[in-house]
Amino acid sequence: MSLPRTEFSETAAERRTMHVPRSHVSIELGHLYIEEFAKGPEYLRAQFERVRPWADVARHVMPGVVPKLKPRVSMCFMVDDYFNQFGSPSDVLPQLITMANEAGLSIDYIARESGCAEADGVPLAELVQGRLVADPPPGANGTRPPVEEIGWLCNGQRSPTWEPTEALREVTPWQAPVENGARNHSIFVDIELWDRGRNDRGPRRWSCSFLAAVWQLLRLGLLRDRGKPVVTPQRWFTPSESGGWQVDDFPERWDELPPVVQVKPADPFCAYKTMSILGPDFLGIESAVRTILERVDIDPEVRSQVENRNQEGGQEKREDISLPAEVVERISYVFLTGNPAG
Amino acid sequence: MLALGEVRTALLQNSVSVPPDVAQQILQLRPGEQVRCSERPVNYAVSPDVPTGVKCRLATRTGKRTWGTGTAVTHASVTGCRVLQGSTYTELALGGAERPAPWSHYLSRSGAVDVTGRASWDDIRDGFLDEEPRDALNLGAISERTMDGVQCRPELDREPPFRARRTALRWTLEDLSEDVPWAHFTIASPTLRTLRLAVKADTDKVLQLCEDLALHDWLLTTLLDLIERGQRKAGRPAEMVESLRPAVEHLLHLWLPGAHVDESLLSLWEGFERRPGFSRQWDVSVNRIRDQLAVTMAGLLSAASAGNVRRH
Repeated sequence: MSLPRTEFSETAAERRTMHVPRSHVSIELGHLYIEEFAKGPEYLRAQFERVRPWADVARHVMPGVVPKLKPRVSMCFMVDDYFNQFGSPSDVLPQLITMANEAGLSIDYIARESGCAEADGVPLAELVQGRLVADPPPGANGTRPPVEEIGWLCNGQRSPTWEPTEALREVTPWQAPVENGARNHSIFVDIELWDRGRNDRGPRRWSCSFLAAVWQLLRLGLLRDRGKPVVTPQRWFTPSESGGWQVDDFPERWDELPPVVQVKPADPFCAYKTMSILGPDFLGIESAVRTILERVDIDPEVRSQVENRNQEGGQEKREDISLPAEVVERISYVFLTGNPAG
Repeated sequence: MLALGEVRTALLQNSVSVPPDVAQQILQLRPGEQVRCSERPVNYAVSPDVPTGVKCRLATRTGKRTWGTGTAVTHASVTGCRVLQGSTYTELALGGAERPAPWSHYLSRSGAVDVTGRASWDDIRDGFLDEEPRDALNLGAISERTMDGVQCRPELDREPPFRARRTALRWTLEDLSEDVPWAHFTIASPTLRTLRLAVKADTDKVLQLCEDLALHDWLLTTLLDLIERGQRKAGRPAEMVESLRPAVEHLLHLWLPGAHVDESLLSLWEGFERRPGFSRQWDVSVNRIRDQLAVTMAGLLSAASAGNVRRH
């Protein structure tokens, strides 16, 4: 007689990682700071007009799906409310949406930059910082803890620091920093991740580079808080009877607006790949973002959800999109230089 | 293929067993990640996995130069709210290209080390098990450092009820070339044990087996130490009782071999139960402690009542 088969499990002992719905591509149409907003609505529209042809190309080229499938593409826009709060959502956002529409673009999602530091009570920036795994110098065998400069991340080995002492007789010659894995010559990058304000005593203030790295991870749907998705875009429009929709009124204060809002019917906010269309000021920042993302340990469960995208919840679904193995290779940019609008 | 690992086991530095929710808190090695807990058959909590980058020599028996680049993965666990373990492992793979890949390539394959050099898998395995690491890959040091981080948590009072050795179990997993899986356990020193395994199984199931074996070996080692300490107090019954008491209070209820081991690997545990017979030695030692305590208590009571009779 064969033995009965029994199984015993405890919910708290199991790792549960939720899926998020995904578009094929998320296209960022821009990033608004106070200085640009101050230049007025005409400037905004001119910027969107420069962005538009690239957004059109990206929409067609980026998804990389088989011709029979309809690609899912979503458009997002980021507003800075972390470094400088300017105006109010009720002033700024309707203008933003209107100027984009006049330039032939439609924004699907609007995000607040401070949402990359903390969103819905989840300290996102700390979460990502906790997942940083620096690439070790040669000789790192596990005996010593990884060297970390508080608040900084680099891509190699820094020049040794020099402390003058009374007994010092000779000046030690400068030793160059070294990029890990450099091809012939180094491009050494040292990135400030956070500080504590000008007097070094205030609350932690995350750098633009670090928040931009969190932003990419949010758009790629790669972050979880104890298995749950971290930011769910809140619907901020009402469908109308004629089949269209109406954007809801925006609040007076930035902290009254959810971290990401959806302002029209659209494909999902998260995507397998991202494309960002930005001005030249962002070259340095996005280079830092790439260096940071190369050192973020993505949850293996989330990584395998993306790898097993043709199977979700035991069901077959067609997600015929080819993806590079490494996360940084799924992020693309267009940098628009030579701005005639000034 | 070849996987390498080292489990370290120690007493949690707290005067009493910690409440289960504290065990969970102290294992929160990373924000935003689940500490997994179970209550049956014994309270058990395990931290999230944390990778550490390594770029170093790998020890070999023959001394052939071999280099590894990649990550080793660590987690810490608390069993019975009393025993702390740190467990680190990595799987070796043949290094491909001449040039090192960007770091993101290694990070995307957590728990893997690419190996370059001419040493064979057997040579690397023997080097790992038998040689002192020195500047070569040292998984035990990563386990130890992770455990130190947990032991320093403010939730713990750092006043353990007795002194106990830390033990290390260094293990390797290789391809199975025979029909039947096999395992070879060696007591290499008073604190170091080695385990050579050949079995077709996922690494996480093999990890559970190694951690379970390491835990029970530590329990047995610690019990034997306590018995020996008790023996040294042979002429002083009250002190002997004090020496043996921690065993009864803190350890005896933790003996549950195979509690967290996958069915497919239980046969290996059963093999060790036949030879050397972990549970047999445990039962004999437990009975010895109970008998010793009973005899000593009887002696103390009769001495006390004799004293009372004389007074009256």
